[in-house]
Parts: sequence; C-alpha cells; structure tokens
Amino acid sequence: MSTEVLVFDILAVVAVIAALGVILARNPVHSAVALIVTFINLAAIFVMLHAEFLAAVQLLVYTGAVTVLIVFVIFLVKVDDLPEFYGGNPVQRIFALLIGLALLGEVAAAILTRSAIGASDIWTAEAIADAGGNAEVIGQVLYSEYVLAIQITAVLLLVGTVAALVLARPASATLPDRVKRTGLISLAHPRGADREVAAALPAGLEASRRGETSGVRFDDRGVILVDNAEAFTDQTAWGGDRLEGDD
Amino acid sequence: MSDLLFLIPLLPLLAATINFVFGRRMADAQTAWLATASIAGSFALSLAAFGNQLDSDEPLTQHLYDWIPAGLFHVPLNLYVDHLTAIMLLVVTSVSLVVHIYSQGYMAGDPGFYRFFSFLPLFVFSMLMLVLADNFLVIFFGWEAVGLCSYLLIGFYFKRHSANQAAKKAFIVNRVGDFGFATGIMLIFWKFDSVVFSEVFARLELVSVDTLTIIALLLFTGAAGKSAQLPLFVWLPDAMEGPTPVSALIHAATMVTAGIYMLARMYPIVSASSDAMFVIALVGAITAFMAGSIALTQFDIKRVIAYSTVSHLGFMAFAIGVGAWVAAIFHLFTHAFFKGLLFLGSGSVIHGMHEEQDMRKMGGLRKYMPTTYWTFAIAAASNAGIIVFAGFFSKDEILVGGWLDHQYALTIIMFGAAFFSSLYIFRAVFMTFWGEERFDPEHVHPHESPRIMTVPLILLAIPAFAAGVVGLPPEDGWIHDFLEPAFHVEEHAEETASAIAIFQEGEEHAEEGHHVSTAMTITFFALSTVLAIGGLAIAYLAYVAKHPAFDPRAWAERAGPVYDLLYNKYYLDEIYERLIIHPLYWISENILWKIVDIEIIDGTVNGVAATVNYSSNQLRRVQTGFVANYALAIAIGAVIVIGIALALQSDLLG
Amino acid sequence: MEELTATHFLLLSAALFIIGMMGVLTRRNVIVIFMSVELMINGVNVALIGFAWEQNSMVGQSFALFVIAVAAAESIVGLGIIMALQRRIDTIDVADVRQLRE
Repeated sequence: MSTEVLVFDILAVVAVIAALGVILARNPVHSAVALIVTFINLAAIFVMLHAEFLAAVQLLVYTGAVTVLIVFVIFLVKVDDLPEFYGGNPVQRIFALLIGLALLGEVAAAILTRSAIGASDIWTAEAIADAGGNAEVIGQVLYSEYVLAIQITAVLLLVGTVAALVLARPASATLPDRVKRTGLISLAHPRGADREVAAALPAGLEASRRGETSGVRFDDRGVILVDNAEAFTDQTAWGGDRLEGDD
Repeated sequence: MSDLLFLIPLLPLLAATINFVFGRRMADAQTAWLATASIAGSFALSLAAFGNQLDSDEPLTQHLYDWIPAGLFHVPLNLYVDHLTAIMLLVVTSVSLVVHIYSQGYMAGDPGFYRFFSFLPLFVFSMLMLVLADNFLVIFFGWEAVGLCSYLLIGFYFKRHSANQAAKKAFIVNRVGDFGFATGIMLIFWKFDSVVFSEVFARLELVSVDTLTIIALLLFTGAAGKSAQLPLFVWLPDAMEGPTPVSALIHAATMVTAGIYMLARMYPIVSASSDAMFVIALVGAITAFMAGSIALTQFDIKRVIAYSTVSHLGFMAFAIGVGAWVAAIFHLFTHAFFKGLLFLGSGSVIHGMHEEQDMRKMGGLRKYMPTTYWTFAIAAASNAGIIVFAGFFSKDEILVGGWLDHQYALTIIMFGAAFFSSLYIFRAVFMTFWGEERFDPEHVHPHESPRIMTVPLILLAIPAFAAGVVGLPPEDGWIHDFLEPAFHVEEHAEETASAIAIFQEGEEHAEEGHHVSTAMTITFFALSTVLAIGGLAIAYLAYVAKHPAFDPRAWAERAGPVYDLLYNKYYLDEIYERLIIHPLYWISENILWKIVDIEIIDGTVNGVAATVNYSSNQLRRVQTGFVANYALAIAIGAVIVIGIALALQSDLLG
Repeated sequence: MEELTATHFLLLSAALFIIGMMGVLTRRNVIVIFMSVELMINGVNVALIGFAWEQNSMVGQSFALFVIAVAAAESIVGLGIIMALQRRIDTIDVADVRQLRE
C-alpha cells in the first residue's frame, strides 16, 4: 500500500466520519463543526487530485463563507426553542435508511464494475506546470470555452444576493409598502383604535348617512384606514366638540 | 484596395439608413443627392476594383468578421472580387447611379420621395452584398434582401390595391424559388461540410454526379424564381406596378440577373452535371420563346418590355445551360444597359403622357420627345439584335454556343425568340413614336422630360449602343479573355471540340473550347441579322406603312385561338389559380380550418385542459405538504432510475 | 488496491452523497437539512474532480468551480429562506411547514 493511498484513506475516513457527524449530531452547532471538518478533509483530497485552486476555493467558500453563514443563522434562529429533531417518524427513518443502502449498493456496483475510461485529455501534470500552474490553466479554460457560463454565473450570484435581501427583510418593513399599495392613510392616533372616533369622522358620518358601512376601515392592529386625506379636512381632531358621540 | 472593399456596400447602406430615419425631416433634394452621392462613391470604388482586376488574376478579398463561428459550421463574412464580380459590380453600380439620377426627375413631388430614396440604396446595398459574397449564406442573405427591397418597391404605391397584390405575388412566387435555393444550400452543407464557395468547389469530387445534379437543379430553382424563368416568371410582368425607375433597375438590369449571376458563380457545380445543364437550357429556351411571343400581343408599354426582359433572361439561362458562360455574362452586361434604357425611356414616355401606359393611346410621339425617341430606338435596336448594336453580339454568341453544344432544336427555338425580340420591340417603337397620334390632344399634351431625366437616358444610350465592342472580335474579344479565368471550362473543352468536328465547316480539331470558325461566325451573323431586320420590316409594314398584308388586326383574327392564348399569357395565371390557389383555399378552409383547427387543435387544447384539471384533482391527494416526503420521493426515483440504467447496462435484461 | 485510482474517489463521493441524502431524509431541522445538501454537493464535486484527475482534463475542475459558485448562490437563498421561515411562522421544523399542500 503506497503512501498516497494511505493518506487518502485517512482523509476519506475522517471525512466520512465527520459527514456522519453532521447528520447525527443533536446540536446544530456540532453539525456545523463536523461539516467544517469534512470540508477541510475534502480540500486536502482536492490537493491530492492536482486541483490546488479548487482546494483553495473550497476552503474560502465553504469552510470560510458558507459555514460561517450557517453558524450565524443557527444563532439567529433560536435553536434552543426548537423541539427535538429526533421526534420524527421512525418508519420514515427506516425507509430512508433502506433507500440509502439501496442507492449505495447500486452506485458501488456501478463504480466497481466500471470499465469505460475516456480518452485522456492534454492536461497532464507536466502540461499544467508548463502552462503556469493549476489556477492559470483553469482560468484559460474558463475564459475561453466557458465565458458565457461565467457571465451567467455572475448574474446568478447577483440575483441570489438580491433574493437574500428580499427574503431576509424584516416583516415590519413591508407594512408601509402595503399601505402605499392600497392607497390608504393610517391615522395612528392613540385613540384611533376607538371605533366611535372613527364613526364620528366626516367620512364615516358621510358614509353612515348614506347607509353605507365603508369609508373608514380598521386594519388588524386597530389603526384607522381611509382612502384619502380629503376625508379628514373637516375633522374635529379627536375629542373636539363636534364629535356627535360626545353630545 | 482590398481594404476599401467594405465601403462599396456600406455607402449605400448608410445612405439608406439616414434617409429612412431622418428622411421625413430632410428636404427631398437632400435625400436624393445623399443617395445619389453614395451610389457614385460605390461606383467609383467599383471602378477602382475593376481597374485592379484588369491586370491581375488574383481576386481581391476582405475579411470583415466571422458571422457564424459555430464549430464545423463556420461562416465568415468576406467580400470577394474576382473578374466576374468586377463586371457585376460595374453593371450594378453604373446602372444604379443612372437610375438614381433619373429618379430625381421621375419621382419629383411624390409624397413617398424619401421612402423611395431609402429603399433604392438599400436595394443597391443588398445587390452588392449578393455580388460580393464568397459563401452561400451571404449570397442567400443578399438574395433575400433584394427580394425584400423588390417587394417594398413594387408595393411602393401601397395605397393601390393592384400594387399590393403584385408585391405579394412577387414575394410569394420568389419564395417557391428560394425554397429550392435554401434546400440546395442545406444539401451543399450536408454533403461538403462547408458553405464557402472555394471550399465547396475544391471538394466536388467527394460526391456523386447524381447529387451534384440535384444540387444544381435546386440552385436553378432559386435562379428560376429570381430570374423569372418558366414556370415562375409570372411575377415579373406584374412587378411593373412599381415606379418605372424601379422596373429599370431591379426588374431589368440587376436583381433579375442575380439568378444568372448565381448560376455563373456556381459554374463548377452546374457544369459538373450535364443533365442539369440540359434542363437549364431547355427551360431557358422555352421561357425565351414563350415570353417573346406573349410580348407580341401586349399593349401596355411596360408589359411589353417586361416580357422582353423575361425572354432575354431565358436567353441567358439558355447560355448557361449550353455552357456558354462568357456569352451569358456578356449578354447580362449588355442587357443591363439596353433594357434599363428601355424602361427609363418608357418611363419618360409615361411621364410625358401623363401616366398613360397603353400604347394604343400613343403614337407620333417622335416629334414631341426627340431625346427619348432616339435613345429608346437605340435600346430597341440593341434589344432586337440589329448588327453593330450591343445586344447583337452578345445574343449572337449565345446562339453560336447553343449550336456548338449540339442543342440544335433548342437553338432553332432561340432563333424564333430572337425574331420575336425584334418584332415586338419595334412594334412598341412604332406604336409609340410613329404613326398617327391616337391620344386625346385636348387633355394630353406630350412633352419632353426634364433634363435630369434625359441626361441619364443619353448616358445609358452610349453603352447600349457600344457595349458590344468588349466582345469584339466574336468569341475572342476582350471580355472573353477577361472572364476566362473565372470559368475554367475544361470539361467543356472536349465537348466543344467534338462539336466543332461534327460541324461541317470545322476545319480543324481545335484544342481550346472557344474556337469557332470564321465561316460559322459569318453564317450566324447573317442569319440573325436577317431575322432582326425581318422583324423590324414586318413591324414597320404593319404599324407604320399599314400594308394590308400585315394588318395586325387581320392577323389576330386569323390566328384566332393562338392569339387569345398569347394575349392571355398562355393562361398561366389562370392555371395557377385553378391548380394551386383554389385547392389551397379549399384545403385551408375545409381541412385546415374546419377539421384541423376546430376539431384537432381546439379539441386537443380543450382536452388537455380537461385532462389536466381532472388528474390534478386526483393527484392533489398525493400532496402531503411534508417536505421530507417529497425528498423521499426524489430519492426513490433516483434509486429506480439508476437501477434501470444499471440493468440496461449489464446483462440482466439481455 | 496498490495504486490510487479514480475508484477510490468515486467511492468517497458516493459515501458523502448518500450520507447527505440520508440527512435530508431524516432530519427535521432545516439548518441541518441545508448542511446535508452541502454534503451532497461536495460529494458530487469529489466525483467531478476525480474524473478530471483520471483523464487529465480541466473540464471537470471547471465544472466543480461552477458547482461551488452555484452552491454559494444556493446557500445565500437557502439561508435567506430559513430566516424568512423563522420570522414568518416562527419555526424551522420542516414537519411544521405544510403550506406546500394547498
């Protein structure tokens, strides 16, 4: 057994154990730590595969950015409040295990009986060294054959950023928007929640005189909503003597 | 020089764009002079390119950019000028220039003036791209673009129903031909893996002669549409709905010759297939004869010339078909001038007669419009093939070429067509300019056109008279030497040589293809002169001298059904109406609409909707809302798919 | 198994992928599911790079790079969704998220 295989075996075994740790840990933070271990091991394996640039990217993007993000999110979502995750349906877990084993069997069969090896490309270790190293060659390939794909990826990342902004926006930020959209004016007066006050407003009086109920509405927080400011030009300002209810 | 080639098509394109975008706000004179100046620039550059080609056998090329770099399907946009292109460039730009100048007078005061002067340079651009192309895709682009310009200009008076109909007809009939052309190009790409001319021609040995025959015939279908050959020539006479300068430029001098040019470009393909050559010669000869005979009976001056154009295009196609490549291009060259002049002259007549086109209402115009008369007469003589006029030499060479290629029967038909050429064109001359005045002098005051229209006529009259010198002495003139490198007619050298051996007076077995004995030349000269003068004489006797033996009406009655047949253009339009249009309408209405559309398409759409509605209602129950269940379903699917793939790969399923 | 061959890497890849899949199938915490998805993606990357190594090709590495880029975008959106879930319905337990049914 050559050293190379030995090194690989150690890295692979650690990676697999850490991966199992990810899905078995009760605490999500432990899962995240196990995930980092997996990623680092994989980066080492990438180096063995002469993919140095990818190894660096793996460390930067996954171990660096993604896992940090994950940990942040874990802290933000109040893990302690969550119910125990093992409370799931045991039938489903057994079923999932069976499926996983079946898939493993199939894939292992495919891998071990594999015979087709495609024609070798030009990028041997020497050729890569001649061309100036792994990163250089990847750059060449990406920016000659996959320029369009690069551009699309860039757009995708931009869209992803915008999408994250929209998704993570606080819920309260959406309310004024809703009000604007429906063209309503909010009268957030402390006593605005008083339905009598609303009914005494000019718009409400007008509406009730015509036998309608519309004109003044409440939203779910009890704020008075009307369709336009005109409804208040003649208002008696909250408790004034023209409020008929006070008579 | 080759770096400036791109300016040749670019200048007209710029003028067209500027006129189209800003023309509405510019003065008429500005748009007109912009267009004219751009064409003049193209003409000057074409002259330079021509001068370069005069003493060089090396084609000029300019690589502009890679149009379609899709792996194997690689289409560069190159401009390519060899001797053949150089001649075409000269013809296109010179006639365009003259027509542009003329149009300033003819179109004066027209509300669509700026539109006209943006479409016309656009046409010139398209035609130049067609001529400069070095691959099939670019030539097809030019081909379709000239078709579009032709459509726009035929339908120029778009408020007139007949103009719209004619424009549509031209477009649709051309589609038939273009379908053949496009199919031919696809076949070429399929067989040769390339659409660049030089690459395709270099690989001709790779395919069988049968394939080449099919390709050549498909290309000829395209040429037949654009160059108005049987059975697709019906659009050209109707295309006279457009303004007369358009008829002169597009439907006489340039666009309609695109088909002939294309076939000449493709000469390695066409000449490789003797079957295709025969078909082309046959179609050309029949077209020339039929169109010539129809022209005898028409009364609309533009229609006479239109049928004359069809007839002469038939001559050119025949020349291609019998392997007389140089003669075909030579005739294309002279024809462009004299036919353009005939149209411009008829335009001048129509202008002076207040838009009257019926020759029965003209007569005696000679003294009112002398310049028009003399230039028209020169063009007519050239068209008729009167000796020393340009058309004589080129037409004669076609006839000789036909005879040398053993197509004796077809050559005799062509002699008939040549006789008709003389008869109908002098009939037009005499009916229009001679004899008694049949118009209403109260309302119509014939007058000579303004100088801006007569000067172009004179300019064109010079080549219409003298362009024949480039072909002198016959079969060995300057044009033959010049075009020889474009057509290395090796295959035909032998055939022609044997033809000469068979020909009674052939004294020696010539090694080269273009050797023709003096005796034969003189015989053919004499024969065609007799026919041309005969046509002239008969026309004179019938329409001027009023000799009772040649009274046209008496002859018309005597000929009876034949006259009706000719007068109604062989009933071709009616036949198409019956055979194609009516069945098409019937199928569209009864099958496509009532069955396919209502029953099948609508039924399918509604049925699909109903099925989806029903099945979704059933499937809705599957949706548990548990994300894990969906993931599980995906996993099971993966297991099954991979299992199937493995099973298929192994021997499990045999 | 003296020499290091692509088979090694493919087996590792399969193991990671399937472990990730099991995580997705069994866990109920959205964050852990998300981490399992990252595991699966990494498994695929190992296979891609392994094949590229075997065939002296750069195509596999290029694709792995794209996979990483897309996975980054995916993680942004995925974590954004988790935040939104937490905020809107106050849970990140997938068993409670059943709006997909209607």
